[in-house]
Amino acid sequence: MKKSIFALIPLFVISLSVIITSCGGNNEEEKVDKQINKMIDSNNVALGVSGKMFIIPSPIQTAMLIQKSGAQYDKSMLNETGKVNSYSTKFFQCLNLGIYGADLGYTTLYDQTQDALSYFNVTNKIANDLGLASAFDKNLIERFQKNLGTKDSMLVLVSAAYRASNDFLKHNDRMEEASLIIAGGWIETLNFALNVQKSKGNEDVKRRIADQKNTLNNLISLLSAYQGNEEYVELLQKLNDLKTEYDKVQYKYVFEQPVTDEVTKVTTITSKSDIIISPENIQTISEKVAAIRGLITA
Amino acid sequence: MKKVFFRLLVGLFFILPSIWKGAGMGLHAQCDTIASVCAKHIMAPYISDGQQYRALLMAEQNAEFHTTFYGGGTYRIAACTGLKDGNLVFSVYDEERNLLFSNKEYKNAPYWDFKVNSTLDVIIEATLDGAQSGCAVVLIGFKQ
Repeated sequence: MKKSIFALIPLFVISLSVIITSCGGNNEEEKVDKQINKMIDSNNVALGVSGKMFIIPSPIQTAMLIQKSGAQYDKSMLNETGKVNSYSTKFFQCLNLGIYGADLGYTTLYDQTQDALSYFNVTNKIANDLGLASAFDKNLIERFQKNLGTKDSMLVLVSAAYRASNDFLKHNDRMEEASLIIAGGWIETLNFALNVQKSKGNEDVKRRIADQKNTLNNLISLLSAYQGNEEYVELLQKLNDLKTEYDKVQYKYVFEQPVTDEVTKVTTITSKSDIIISPENIQTISEKVAAIRGLITA
Repeated sequence: MKKVFFRLLVGLFFILPSIWKGAGMGLHAQCDTIASVCAKHIMAPYISDGQQYRALLMAEQNAEFHTTFYGGGTYRIAACTGLKDGNLVFSVYDEERNLLFSNKEYKNAPYWDFKVNSTLDVIIEATLDGAQSGCAVVLIGFKQ
């Protein structure tokens, strides 16, 4: 009798665990809240240093600025689609997914449908190679194909695809790959801005180049988490070298009280910032960014 | 007796991680749902910046998100927790910690727009309002 009772214990534990995990209805949220108590610490590690998360601005913002500056479409700035098969390691695939993604955004902004289709195909290819295919549902891909040529819709879809892949990578503990994709996108759009500044010279574009000072610092922090990997050595070396040039960019900020309109739900931030970047600064930054891009796209 | 005890230990070894994983997946799923609901606040003419910023918070904790707002741009910040609007307080500071905006003064509005004259680095702080714990989701969009 004693033997048979003890033999039932594992069954009891299994039953209990099934009951716990299957409890639903009104107690679901309460149960999850209790679990959060235990989950918070491990999830806060993902927030970064001291619970702060540093956000790299979307590359589409700079691409939009470049287009508004009146710069002509320049396909020679983009990474050749033919190189896509030469990226065989995850490191270079992720970086170039970021680069091709930025190129896709650029071709879309300029209504270059054929080129947009080419860049859509290469981003799709690399995404598949990286196992990101399941990040995009069939609906998203169909909408892409249907909306090629419609700039506004395409911009929304490019953002949606970017978010889908970013979420997928984060959910699957692939933060390193997500960081590399972001880094690739940032390098490419900075390269766009530098090329435009060289050929056309525009105050807003020049300002945007200078504005990347803090973003670069955040990007280096983001990637430094993986500096133990051999592949990162040269990339981080070159990014830190770029940083030494950006350290020469002078930034002055003066706070002013913002103005809020409750009716329209708009706050106008009137604080002023002045930034000083010399032509020599820009030239050196341009050379160093070209070197970083060359390392990634070779 | 020893055999039964051993079976119990083995059983627990396999069962507990799945309970834990189930709870973790539940939290991710909860955050996903909140993010989907929150995304309705970032619609045309705003384009999402392509990311979701999430933090699992307890009461009194806050999450900090650091980003750059470019001069000449107009941004929308949407901040949500739970399936209903109005439960998450978000505040925006500059790098010198001057308060630029807090939705607490506007009935915890789930989104707000920011017209930026000059580029500045901002800190977005999110805190739960009332709940003991929850997933905070912050989304950022910029105007075309």
